[in-house]
This record gives sequence, structure tokens and C-alpha cells, in this order.
Amino acid sequence: MTNSALASATADNAPLIRLRGVTKTYPGATAPFTALDDLSLDIRAGEFVAVTGESGSGKSTLLSLVAGIDRATRGEVRVGATAVHSLPEARMAEWRGAAVGIVFQFFQLIPTLSAAENVMLPMDFCDRWPARERRDRALALLERVGVADQADKLPSRLSGGQQQRVAIARALANDPPLLLADEPTGNLDSRTSESVLSLFGEIVSSGRTLLLVTHAPAALRHASRTVALADGRLVSDSRA
Amino acid sequence: MHRGRTLLSVIAIVTGLAAGGTVLDSWALVRVATREGYLASDPASATLRVDSAPAALLALVRAVPGVRDAEARRSTTARLTANGTTLTAFLFTSDDPSARRIGRLRGESGDWPPGPGAMTVERSSVEFSGVAVGESVRLSVGDGDPVDVRVSGIARDVGLAPGWMEHVVYGFVPWGTLRALGVPDRANEIRLVVQDGSLDQTGVRRVAFAARDALQAAGLRVTNVDVPVPGEHIHAAQMDSLLLTQGAFAIMALLLSAFLVVNLIAAMLAGQVREIGVMKAIGARSGQIAALYLTVAGALGVAATVISVPIAIVAGTRYGALKADLLNFDLTGYSVPLWAIVLQATVGVLLPVAAALFPVLRGCRMSVADALRDVGIRDDASPPRPVLMLGGMSRPALLSIRNAFRRRQRMVLTLLALSSAGAVFIGALNLRRAVRGSTDLVFDSQRYDFSLRVSERHDPDSLTAVVRAVEGVAGAEAWSGATATIDREDGTLGNGFSVLALPDSSTLFEATLTGGRWLQPGDSLALVAATGLERQEPDIVVGSRLRLIVAGKAAEWTVVGTVAGGPAPTAYVSREALAGFAGRGAGAVVVRAAIAGEASQLDLIQRTRAALAEHGMPVASSMRLAESRRSTEDHLLMVVDFLGAMAWLMLVVGGLGLGSTMAIAVLERTREIGVLRAIGARDRSVLLLVQAEGLTIGLLSWAIALPLSVPMSLLLGEAFGRIMLPVPSRPFPDAAAVGIWFALVVVVSLLASAWPAWRAMRVPAARALAYE
Ligand SMILES: Nc1ncnc2c1ncn2[C@@H]1O[C@H](COP(=O)(O)OP(=O)(O)OP(=O)(O)O)[C@@H](O)[C@H]1O
Ligand SMILES: [Mg+2]
Repeated sequence: MTNSALASATADNAPLIRLRGVTKTYPGATAPFTALDDLSLDIRAGEFVAVTGESGSGKSTLLSLVAGIDRATRGEVRVGATAVHSLPEARMAEWRGAAVGIVFQFFQLIPTLSAAENVMLPMDFCDRWPARERRDRALALLERVGVADQADKLPSRLSGGQQQRVAIARALANDPPLLLADEPTGNLDSRTSESVLSLFGEIVSSGRTLLLVTHAPAALRHASRTVALADGRLVSDSRA
Repeated sequence: MHRGRTLLSVIAIVTGLAAGGTVLDSWALVRVATREGYLASDPASATLRVDSAPAALLALVRAVPGVRDAEARRSTTARLTANGTTLTAFLFTSDDPSARRIGRLRGESGDWPPGPGAMTVERSSVEFSGVAVGESVRLSVGDGDPVDVRVSGIARDVGLAPGWMEHVVYGFVPWGTLRALGVPDRANEIRLVVQDGSLDQTGVRRVAFAARDALQAAGLRVTNVDVPVPGEHIHAAQMDSLLLTQGAFAIMALLLSAFLVVNLIAAMLAGQVREIGVMKAIGARSGQIAALYLTVAGALGVAATVISVPIAIVAGTRYGALKADLLNFDLTGYSVPLWAIVLQATVGVLLPVAAALFPVLRGCRMSVADALRDVGIRDDASPPRPVLMLGGMSRPALLSIRNAFRRRQRMVLTLLALSSAGAVFIGALNLRRAVRGSTDLVFDSQRYDFSLRVSERHDPDSLTAVVRAVEGVAGAEAWSGATATIDREDGTLGNGFSVLALPDSSTLFEATLTGGRWLQPGDSLALVAATGLERQEPDIVVGSRLRLIVAGKAAEWTVVGTVAGGPAPTAYVSREALAGFAGRGAGAVVVRAAIAGEASQLDLIQRTRAALAEHGMPVASSMRLAESRRSTEDHLLMVVDFLGAMAWLMLVVGGLGLGSTMAIAVLERTREIGVLRAIGARDRSVLLLVQAEGLTIGLLSWAIALPLSVPMSLLLGEAFGRIMLPVPSRPFPDAAAVGIWFALVVVVSLLASAWPAWRAMRVPAARALAYE
């Protein structure tokens, strides 16, 4: 989606993410397993939403449906003007590359590319910026997340916190309006976690929307809204 | 789950095994057939050329100590016209060919032995000459009247070099037919077998010369003694060398196919690291886990063996039959010996197990903790520095190239397979050029268009005077020749070779010197040896002095030079030198035509023959240079092609190796590919990523193949030298060879990585999140 489409969506004060009666059923080994059960949820642009819940409650499933990584069995998933649930597979990757930035628990940087190259990779896929501007842009993003001095190192030479910062820079590569993060601090010590969470806070204040799955109570303090899931249902929704 | 990869591994092992098996089976078959077929025919140990062989003299030969048996026959060179083409024919006549004891013959179809007025054709001459049983052919000898004879049957003589290869029609005719052709009805060859079957060539030669002495003491003239290598068919040594060379490549292919098993088992282990961790955690010992995977490898081996053994038998029998055809044998009734099959089965089952040991031992050593912690993107051995320094291209391109270098061991094996295929391919093309070049060299020195052999020697000047007067003749020279043998210090004689005397300022022969100098006026007993003679007599070097028996007279000669030449052993001497031994008469005229084109040259040959006959100098046979060139080249290039076939074999195995390497790479990087999709990689990007990685390996192998082709060309040239004849080595590839191989490598790389790329494209983005 384009930035102007996003702008008009925000101007209407319509929610950026709109889930309606979303159900996700996995074909289990014995019986089908319902990971999300008739979930409806609206998230407005600029919100920092923490998603919590027990293990197996459906948090990651929710994230993957919003990211278009997986498809809902029933219901509607809209992000801005895009109906993600019905987007043809061929267009999905393209949309995702431009509209969503994803941060993973295990960082998932490409081990054979340097930090800067990892950040440039989504730009290469998306092709929104001219090739010769990409490196400068990557360096600016690394600067912004505080690891500019590590730009030319391979991920294996970086600490966990540094790797996660590079991963965040990569998620921001194509300037997506929406960031999704699945337990991004799950593999970091508490001090590093805290600084990564502050970074997320700054990113949200600069006008982005963040959906952050977390187990860590510390994370909730940074969020503007907390959504709790249990057995695939929404059990609480509170704003700070 | 590993269906594709298992299939690839089985195909690769089958390819290697089937190739090795084919070579082995054909070798075993041909060996059995030669042993039983050739030796069973009781081939002649020696052949003496004589004026005549009355029965009393045969008894004399049989009485020579060491001789077991002797027989006489007549061999006659004739012209045969069938279906409008005229070919050279060798006619063999003996009292009852079906009762021949030495070099026994076997009737294959039609009448045997041929009745009056009929001819039986030797099997190997049938196809190329187009003669058919029941049809008539026209025979003529010298300028005698042509005689029409009916082809009444086909027989096989396993002792003859195949007619199709020699471009000669072999026929068996009764004495009556010879008489009608104007040929004296007496034998001109005595063939004998020695008592002691274990004698070597020198030993047989001693016996043969004792027989010659006995004949000469009885007043008979013996003009030549020929002793082949005992117990070996004319082309047997060549075949052995060929099969040995091919066998070496087949073994290489087999070893490379084992590497696919390494890949497969490694892939299985990669996918089951956590299961192994769990098994270990609950108390399974490494040995138990290892046994599991080795059993899988053994099962693969069994499957591959079951498939490849029958393929090898079928292909080996076919290939053996082709070889047998070259040796003029028939394989019917022979089957692949059991030991060859048992050997293949053993290798087939054990090789995969041995190959699987590498990854299994590595996998089982992994600690439980490491195994259970198998979650993120695998950060395996990183690419070497120079590859990391690469810049100036997009990240996906960088990724493809760097990924190619990620698993170096695996890459090295893939490169080895592909680049050795390339080296053999380019080497074979180089060899082809070298062979072409050396036939060029041989035939470039012959500046005439055809040669005529006259029935009797005549004065060279009268011969050339007659021929030059024929319209359309641009030049003619009379060449005289004799046969010679080396009289060794140990009292034995070498095999015969021909000595050619050319006019002093010959324009129809232009020597290409390879050492020393050409003949000079004033040279007395000087000779220049051609390649074929150097090969037959390794003692011959520039400056060496040899005792030769030329036309029956012994003298000491000096080797003054060597020239490039074909496989026929030949020496060049001056007319004056030869005149002292064989007289001044010349037996052949070589002619350059003023006009080109086959038809007009054939016409010119006819007119020249007529002119010579008119002047009382009848012609016995004629040969166009172009024709003898073609048959020589065909002969040589076929062996080159047999060697070149190995390149295709290696390419198949190399391609399969690349395919399996790419497939396992995709498998190992499933999560990484999921991440790429999650951050926006489209189908096309993922597809290109994998294809570019395969192409990187392919192109690298191409680059490695170039320098590797230099020693390979030398090696193939060496092998060819042993199989056929030495050719000047041409170690450096030409642009065409490099280009063709480049195109092949690109196609094979793209094909080999197509399926892995397809699989990569199907990896869902969700794999990036799945930690289970
Ligand atoms: N691909 C799948 N196939 C089958 N079942 C699945 C699949 N993915 C998830 N599930 C099941 O759906 C349920 C919800 O999974 P999900 O990963 O969303 O939980 P989660 O809240 O993220 O848990 P955790 O905190 O452990 O990450 C779980 O019971 C899980 O086993
Ligand atoms: Mg989860």
C-alpha cells in the first residue's frame, strides 16, 4: 500500500488494523486445533499494542495473520485499505515487503550478509529506493538504532542486543507503517531488553504502529495498550 | 520426505555403477570371447610368404622342431565391383577352407565352403561393402578379364582385422575362380602354429625362421616372415588400453556418486537433528543411531545395485559386441561372467555405506544440548574472505555467491565432479583436433591424388612417361619399394616394414621432419623413419645404425632422420640405395590429377590404367588418397569418441551432484528462506537466488576445468598414443571448446538447480516463525 493511502486511512480515523471474526484452525494430527477463535480487534495507527497470553494462546498466530504470513480460516484481516485475508499469494510478499516490518525472537539475520547488507536486502526486494541510495539509507537506519559502527560486520560478530537492533533496522528498511515483533526480547538479558523496548517506543512516537508479542511484564510499561489472549480468544484489552 | 534426494542419490549411484559395470562387463565378455573364440580358432603363430608351397614342402615345415602344424593358402589382392562401386578385395583360397585347421573359419549363413564359381564373404566386410548373399559381384586381378561370381554365403574369420575398418572386402574363393581371374593356382603363404603355446613373440620368431631356413634350403624363396604377438588379436592390446582408460573414469564417476550419498545422509541428519538429540537424551547410544542411518545407506546401495546390474549387463553386452565387432568377433553364446556381477554388487552395496560413515559419525558426535538448541538460522562455516570482499552488486546476487561458498567441503566435491567432466570434455576435443592435425600431417605430405600399383616392376622413367601423357594428369612419379626387417644382434628378426624409394626431387611427397634431416644426394645407405616404424622398432633414433635385410640382402644402414607418418611402419631411402638391393624397377606410380572431384578422378584412374596396360604395364590395384584418408580418420576418431563419452558420464554425475548439493542447501536453509519471504522476497527472487547459486558453482567449475584440461589433454593424448598411435599433444583448448563447455555448464547448472529452486519457492514465510 502507498503512504498516501495510509494517510487517508488515518485521516478518516478508521483503524489501521481491523480483525473481524478471525478464526484460525490448524489441521492437527488427531483433531483440528483452533488456535484463534472468532477474534475481532481494531488497532489504530500510532498505537503500541502489547499482546500477552500463555504459551499456546495464539499470539504468534495472530501476528502471522496480520503479516499475511498465514491465512485465516474464517473472518477478515484488513490492514489499511488492504484485505490481507484475500490478497492473492503472488502479491502477498510484495505487499508485506512494503507495508510491514517484522522482528523475530531469534533475530534471523542472514549470516552471510553484513549488518548493512541485511538492512539493504528488503530494499532490494521492494525496489522503492534507487539502488545507489540504499546503502546511505541503511547506514542512517543503523545510526538510528545505535549500531552504525557495526555496519560492516557479519551478524555472528555481534552481540544479541546488537543483532536485534540490526533486525529492527531491517524491519524499518522500506519505511513500513506497521511493525510486528514476536518476543523480540525473548533472547536478551533484562538490560538489553529494556533498551530495545525504549527503541520501539521511540519508533512508535515517530508515527508508526507496533504490535508486540511478549511474555515480559516489563514490556507492558512501554505499551500504550495491552491485549491478552487465552485459548485463542481475547480476554482483556486495556489502555495505559 | 527425502524422496527427491533419495531418488537423486540412487540415480547417481546407478549411473556410476552402471558405467563402471558396463566397462567391466564388456571387458570380461570380450576377454572370454577372445580367449575362447580367438584361441579356439587356433590362430597362426607365423605366416611365411613364398612363391609356391607344394605339399612336400609343407611336410618339411611340419618337421621343423617346435612346429606343430602348417598349412598353405593363397591370398590375392583383387578389385571387386558391387553396386557400382569398386573396392579392394583380399581373396583367400585353400584346398578346403571348411577343413582349415589353422585360423579355423566358421560358416555363418549360406553355403560353406563356396562351390565352383561362388564366393563366401567374410562377415566384417558385408555391411560396408553392401554385398549380399545371392547377388553377383565382379572381380578382377591386375588387368585380367573381370569375372562375375555369385556371393553364396557368409563366414567368419576371427583372425582378420575387420574389413569395414580396413576398407577391404575379404572373400573365400575356390581355385577355379582364381584360374578364371588369371591368377596362378598355387599357394603363396605358409601359415604355421608352434608347439609351445607359451612362447613369446621372439620365441615364435625363432621357430618361424628355422622353418624359413628349411624352406630356403629346399630351394624355395621366402620373401617375408610375419609373427604377430602370440595369443593376442591384432587389436586386443588397443582394446585393453581403451577399456582401462574408460574404467578409470567410471571409477571416478562411481566415487563421485558416493558423494551424493554423503549429501543425502547429511540432509536426513540435518532434518532430524532434534530427533537425534531427543533420542540421545532418552538414552539411545550413538552406535544405535549410526546403525540406523548406515542401514538406510545400505538399502540405497541394494536398490541401486538391483537397478544397475541389469543395465550394465545389457549395456556391457552391447558395448562388448561393438568392441567384438572391432576385433571381428561374435559374442553370441557368451554371457557376462559371474565374478563381474558379484564384484559390482559388492561395490554397489558397500560404497554407499562407506560414504554414509562420514556424515553419520559427524552427526552422532553432536552433543545433546547442541542438537536440542537447533532453532535459529544456521550459522555454518562462513564464506572465505575474498568472497566476503565482493561488492558492487545487489544483496540477492551477493547472497547467491556467498551461499555457494558456505559449505566448502560439499562445494569442493561438486566442483571436482563438474570440472573433471569439463576437463575430459575439453581434453577429448583437443585430442580430436590433435588427431585431425596428425592425419593432416600424414596426408599433407602426400601431394598426389591416387596411386597405382603395377603387377610387375618396370623402369621408372617408362612408367612416368606413359602416365604423364594421359590427359588430365598434372604430375606423376614412380615409387619403388621393398620389404625390410631388422636383423637383431641376438639373431632374431623384427617384423617386416616397407621401404619406399622416391625420386630425388620428389614433388608429390613433402616430408614433415620430426628429427634429423631428409635424404641428400650422395647419401649411401641412409634411411628416414616414419612414425609407424619408430613405434614398431623403439631402437630407431636419429644417428643409430641398423642391420637390415632389404629384399633378402643384409647391410648396415644409418638413420638420418624421422618424419611424421601414419600407423603403417615405413622407411624412406634414395632410389640409388634401394637399386642395389631390389633393382631399379618401380612398382607404383603416384599421380596428381589436374582436375578435382571424385567422378572425374575415377575416370582418370580408368584411363591411366588403360594407358599403362596398353604399354604392357598392367595395373594391379589403385587407391584414391581421399579414400584412404577417410578410413584412417574414421578409425582414429572412433576411439576419440569412446574416450569423449566419459565426459558425458561425468557430466551426468556432476549435474546430479550439483542438484543434490543445491537441494540439501535449500533444505538446510528452509528457515532462512522463510525469513527472506517474510521480509518481502517474491517468488521470482527466491527462484533466482537458488538458480544463481547453482550457476555460481557451475561457472566456477568451468573456470577450474580450463587449467585442469591441460593435464587431462596430455593424459588422454598419452592414452590415445597407447591405444592407437602417438599424436602431437595439443594441451590448450581452443575458443570453440571453451565456449561449448561454457554453454553446457550453464544449461546443466540451471537444470540441476531448477528443482531445488522450485522447492525453495514453495517454502512458506511461516517457516520463519515456526520454532517447533
Ligand atoms: N503450524 C501449526 N500447525 C498446528 N498447530 C499449530 C501450528 N502453529 C501453531 N499451532 C498451535 O496453535 C496454538 C497457538 O500457537 P501460537 O504459536 O500462536 O501460540 P503462542 O501464543 O505464540 O505461544 P508461545 O508463547 O509458546 O509462542 C498452539 O497450541 C500451537 O501448538
Ligand atoms: Mg509464539
